[in-house]
Amino acid sequence: MELELGLSLPSSDMMMEKRIKTNFCKKRSFDEVLDEKTVTLPLFLQREEDGHGNSDSELNYGGGRVIVGWPPVKLPRRRTNCVKVNMEGIAIGRKVDLSLHDSYQALFRTLYMMFPKKHEDLTYAHVRRTEEEDGGCDYKVTYEDEDGDWMLVGDVPWEAFIMSAKRLRIIN
Amino acid sequence: MVGRFRWAAMFPDEVWEHVFSFLTSDADRNAAALVCRNWNRIERRSRKRVFVGNCYSVAPTVAVRLFPEVRAAVIKGKPHFADFNLVPSDWGGGAEAWVEAMAEGWPNLEELRFKRMVVSDDCLDLIARSFKNFKVLSLVSCDGFSTSGLAAIAANCRNLRELNLRESEVEETCLNWISHFPESCTSLVALDIACLEGEVNASILERLISRCSNIMTLRLNHSVPLERLVGLLQRAPQLMDLGTGKFSARHNPQLFSRLESAIAGCKNLRNLSGFWEPGLTYLPAVYSICEGLTSLNLNYATIQNPELVKLISRCKNLRRLLVMDLIEDSGLVAVASSCKLLQELRVFPSDPYDAAEPVSLTEQGLVAVSAGCPMLHSVLYFCRQMTNAALLTVAKNRPNLTCFRLCIIEPRTPDYVTQEPLDTGFSAIVESCKDLRRLSVSGLLTDLVFKSIGASANYLEMLSIAFAGDGDMGLHYILSGCKNLRKLEIRDCPFGDKPLLQNASKLETMRSLWMSSCSVTLGACRQLARAMPRLNVEVINESGRGPLVAQPDNCPVEKLYIYRTIAGPRTDTPQCVWTI
Repeated sequence: MELELGLSLPSSDMMMEKRIKTNFCKKRSFDEVLDEKTVTLPLFLQREEDGHGNSDSELNYGGGRVIVGWPPVKLPRRRTNCVKVNMEGIAIGRKVDLSLHDSYQALFRTLYMMFPKKHEDLTYAHVRRTEEEDGGCDYKVTYEDEDGDWMLVGDVPWEAFIMSAKRLRIIN
Repeated sequence: MVGRFRWAAMFPDEVWEHVFSFLTSDADRNAAALVCRNWNRIERRSRKRVFVGNCYSVAPTVAVRLFPEVRAAVIKGKPHFADFNLVPSDWGGGAEAWVEAMAEGWPNLEELRFKRMVVSDDCLDLIARSFKNFKVLSLVSCDGFSTSGLAAIAANCRNLRELNLRESEVEETCLNWISHFPESCTSLVALDIACLEGEVNASILERLISRCSNIMTLRLNHSVPLERLVGLLQRAPQLMDLGTGKFSARHNPQLFSRLESAIAGCKNLRNLSGFWEPGLTYLPAVYSICEGLTSLNLNYATIQNPELVKLISRCKNLRRLLVMDLIEDSGLVAVASSCKLLQELRVFPSDPYDAAEPVSLTEQGLVAVSAGCPMLHSVLYFCRQMTNAALLTVAKNRPNLTCFRLCIIEPRTPDYVTQEPLDTGFSAIVESCKDLRRLSVSGLLTDLVFKSIGASANYLEMLSIAFAGDGDMGLHYILSGCKNLRKLEIRDCPFGDKPLLQNASKLETMRSLWMSSCSVTLGACRQLARAMPRLNVEVINESGRGPLVAQPDNCPVEKLYIYRTIAGPRTDTPQCVWTI
């Protein structure tokens, strides 16, 4: 699958062609893979400003509608789920334990603490953090899934994400 | 006592104790305890089994003091929605207070069953050391412990009969915890370690199984390969309940025939589960025992048709079937004609988040089973489409339903033929199924369905609602009806303050109420808490807006958990939880 990074805002008709993977997924045939159209990843990862006050349980990180804890299935959670995190331009990576987080919000909080914006001191990073909790940020985080594909973090339900994420990469 | 029964007062306590020993259900014993002071005293002092549906409803020390002769206890912790990540992981449900009180006051405790509790290794250690005749440890959907804790149990519980870890989350800190069962341990009857993520030493397990000649239940985890399963089965041909490990291997005809004969040798096999990563070549190895099976759990087995149907159709005596939607409508039609004794059916989504590639499982499958299986009384069904007509048919076919949980995966999905809400369908279910005890609704629903449920569901004990209703009336219908309602869990419904305040006293007749992403305000919670001192009103706000004490009455409440209690507000609430 070709990935193009284009200058576009996230919109609802831009779908990630990739399937959301769980443990029970069927593998696509070779032909299906070759048939994939190119996909444009949004350059800006912004919390969608929702005019009609979406309920708290609907997180719109990149265009898809994702509801916490729905459908009501118990997914076996992975324990000590440590993944490497690298930030573009920074040689030394970190490790984050996904199993210690229960939501994307929590994960991003940890990532901001691990990788505060360059040239900022700690106090500024603290101020930015509260801003980020309200939704506006320009951290683009991608992850490598179990098939080796790089996906945008936030598109799939949290439970599915922690099962399939192998490592993270933050793009400036 | 009433005059005519004075003779009864002449009986010594032991006689009454003996009489009460024939009352097996908790409800009957509870009823006896309410007859008079004497019976109350005698009953509670001789009660051997206690069930605590909400660990915070009573203080552990009080429970232990009231029932001094308890030998078996069941304690449940977190609300059901914790299974779906709706409850913060640090919410509570810790087992320490209970284990400490029990260690102190119930030295003769034999059976301990926890569900959705946080059990630490220290707890397990205390359990291992405190109860001389400990026989049964069951930790269902629990977390907080590791295999080190299990090692302590294995090493110290000399008469351990049952160790059940179903669906728990266990840290793997001690690699060979199984080896901590001493050579002298021969008492194991049931071992369920299917939830363990790590490697289990199959050789040590084999030796353990060999010396436990009474082993009846053995549920392995995915790490046990097919080759080792053969050895285990050969050593335990008396098994009644088997959970296989990994059910695939490289093509090996010798292995296949060894497996086939080992399984055939287990003539008492009634329950079968496991089938992690199933390989189609080895499935026929279980065919010989299919006819004897009463329970088959293929919840984790990604087997598709036709092999899936071939397997299930052989299980003519099945009472209980758990399967993925890979069975499809055609498979359920086959089930309807093969499994005439079926009582319970659960169909799970193989790909819960991917709507783009639907599997051919629709309302037809459900209708087929409802028509073909006259003893079917318990249903859990995940699907993507439904019609009122189908639900009406199910209601007509199966008035004996006691549990009906339908989950249409996309919220607010209407009848796909008429585009109408599914009110009439679910109303038919509650009106026809007079013994319905548990109901989960889904799809597009207005307040009308709640009017029916409130009016007709007289024996309903547990109700789950999501993305449904129009407004306050919906909740009001439920709370003012449903005479036997015990547990109500609601998410993403437009229910607000009024029905809660209008039906405050109802809440004390229930075990608990969960509401998340509804329209309840802090002010209503404050009012409710003031009016009802025997309720704990817990507000959960995770977005960290500052202490709730300072927030105004119109502040919206994200998550609300209300439960009756005689223990008062709990002392172990984390930061995000406030008891109002």
